[in-house]
Amino acid sequence: MTSAEPAHAAPHAREKAPPVTAEKPARPARPARPVRKNRDWLHGLLMSTPAVAGLVAFVGVPFGYAVVLSFYNVRLGSPLAPAFFGLEQYRRLFTDPDLSGPFLRALLNNLTFAVVVVPVQTALALGLAILLNRKLKAIGLFRSLFFMPVVFPMALVAVIWRLILARSDQGMLNSALHAVSFGNWGAFDWLGDSATAMASIIVLSVWQGVGFQMVILLAGLQQIPGELYEAAELDRASRWQQFRHVTLPGIRGTLVFVAMLTSVLSFRVFDQVYVLVKGGGLNEDAARTVMYQAVTTAFDQNNVGQASAITVVFFLIVVVLTLIQRRVVRPDNED
Amino acid sequence: MSSTSRRYRRTACTGLALALPLAALAACGGGGGTDASAEGGSGKGTISVWAHQSQKSEDAAVQAAVKSFNSSQSDIKVELKLIPGNDYTKTITATSASELPDVMEFDGPTMANFVYNKKLAPIDDHVSAKTMANATDASKSQGEIGGKHYGLGMYDSGLGIYGNKKLLDAAGVKYPTSLSDGWTAEQFTDALKTLKAKDSDGKTLDIQENNGLATEWGAYGFAPVVWSAGGSLLKDGKAEGALDTPAAVSALKTVQSWKTYVDPNTDGNAFAKGRVALSWVGHWMYPTYSKALGDDLVVLPLPDFGNGPKTGQGSWAWGIGADTKNAKAAGAFMDYLLNDTNVTAMTTANGAPPATKTALAASPLYKQSGPLQLFADQLAKPCGDSDITKSCVAVTRPVTAGYPTITAKFSEALNSVYGGADPKSALSKAARAIDQDFSDNAGYEIP
Repeated sequence: MTSAEPAHAAPHAREKAPPVTAEKPARPARPARPVRKNRDWLHGLLMSTPAVAGLVAFVGVPFGYAVVLSFYNVRLGSPLAPAFFGLEQYRRLFTDPDLSGPFLRALLNNLTFAVVVVPVQTALALGLAILLNRKLKAIGLFRSLFFMPVVFPMALVAVIWRLILARSDQGMLNSALHAVSFGNWGAFDWLGDSATAMASIIVLSVWQGVGFQMVILLAGLQQIPGELYEAAELDRASRWQQFRHVTLPGIRGTLVFVAMLTSVLSFRVFDQVYVLVKGGGLNEDAARTVMYQAVTTAFDQNNVGQASAITVVFFLIVVVLTLIQRRVVRPDNED
Repeated sequence: MSSTSRRYRRTACTGLALALPLAALAACGGGGGTDASAEGGSGKGTISVWAHQSQKSEDAAVQAAVKSFNSSQSDIKVELKLIPGNDYTKTITATSASELPDVMEFDGPTMANFVYNKKLAPIDDHVSAKTMANATDASKSQGEIGGKHYGLGMYDSGLGIYGNKKLLDAAGVKYPTSLSDGWTAEQFTDALKTLKAKDSDGKTLDIQENNGLATEWGAYGFAPVVWSAGGSLLKDGKAEGALDTPAAVSALKTVQSWKTYVDPNTDGNAFAKGRVALSWVGHWMYPTYSKALGDDLVVLPLPDFGNGPKTGQGSWAWGIGADTKNAKAAGAFMDYLLNDTNVTAMTTANGAPPATKTALAASPLYKQSGPLQLFADQLAKPCGDSDITKSCVAVTRPVTAGYPTITAKFSEALNSVYGGADPKSALSKAARAIDQDFSDNAGYEIP
């Protein structure tokens, strides 16, 4: 509650301000307040120091450094001194057709990924959470089964899905479709076709990540008091009405949190693309994400300046998108 | 008012907090780059050696060589450190020259970068004339920059097409028997077509797609297509006009057309299990393939796209750290490492063609009429990295510090062509990107 005090104090100060500046007699009232305010400020600063220090050291400094590097032509392990490049890296990213093509495509891929994954994964997680929020025998087993993909590292999941999505009839998906369609399904190249490369990445990412969101939503669901459902039942509310008027409002805050988390996570797609490209057969242009491009530019081509410019642009875009999103979907209990 | 001014103050504070470490970092960033040169030293004492960790049998061969060197004399003691292969090149890149060992191993195409960064010293003055004379021409040309040698390998590498004799005969496909009567690209395509008719799933070729094409495998495995079409990855420091020639474009178009015949090889066993009749890969699959196929295994050269058949060349090599204080001892150790006993032990361990003349001649696999004679024949006709004529065969990947960009851009282009992109625009784009990178770096001239 300490944070509320300065907020109360401020209007008072403002009301009294004009007489203070106009007349000297009002002065004695002043010393008490500034001292208290200062102490609050100090305490606040002290308490937030560890968090702020971490933020500055691991986000602020690297980002500031990236901004500086993006104005230079810096190479990993080059004996040449970094040369000042001005806005050249940014100019190339946006106007040089060879460079801007892949970069803009990567941005678009990232956006597509986020736009599809956020609603789909949140809805799916909600569905699973509701499904697993029953009093069934061995429900713990089911819950752990659905949570399992989250435990596996993405690199491992990607390797497994490479076997599923492989082209020709060796791929598990293709052979399953072949069997189901009585041999009418040809061997389709899921990862190599530009139409399905991103879709494949999306499916495997949702499969891997959905369990995590599910667990959070499950916890939210269990916070809803059972009496509310009993009351709703007495009011003869149908299952859908119960879901619509009891469940959804009950987990609104959790849902917003999950959606926000998913969208932030969905911007850093990297592992699956990296693993699948190295594994062969992935259509690089159709599935390249900004993170992938930044990492390969910096560490495969040693072009640190260019990679910094990419990350700076991406950082700004993600910050803007997050701010917009926060404004649009704001949980009730905030502020 | 007070709350806004507070916010300003806080912003200023945060800004300062950001700027101060930045300034410190920037101050640290510059400088360095002392002029390093190897000192001969006394030729006695302890020297450190770094090598990449690989399959067990190779590691054992290196360790055995070090052990027997240490017990063979009492003046020099070698301390060996094995570093995991996946991180090896990054480790050297990230280590400053002064902390690098006296003797180190490195992958062939990364050498120029280390010379450019002043991390390697020329070895000519430190290894014996006998060792230098005994190195194969291909090995020497990989290790040479500006007339000086910076590295010598114990073994080399080569590409070819492995064939399954039984499947080829069953389909009635005629295949070459030596380097001189190799397939042309059209004949190779025809062979694929003929084989397809007899194959249950229509896939008759393996190109190690499981390794990925947007990787060093893509660049190493398919640069020979460009060379064989008369193109080049880099010519006189420029890729435009070398990488995207009409012949190179049409050659990649042919490669693109093979995709329908290629087994994706997700399990890595397409050829060994007999699912395909042909496998486009290097010498390193020989132990696996010969075990699986026995006498049915035949080795053929890569197809000729008009400028003669070509193969990639070059592998891990040994060099002397630029900052060593004991180059004499380092040279003595390299002499020992490159003697027949050690080279033979190593190449027995990994099946690679020996990179020294005497060991090559004695190798049961690579000697005349040995099962892998073709690889030895190819390596006997080295082109170096720039003088690619019709008659030479083994081409070294461009010896330049800009190689990381070349391989990244070329393999990216290859991958997208294989995925269906237009070869002309993909290759031109790669060439422009490489040239841009070279002009940004003043041509990677070694200072």
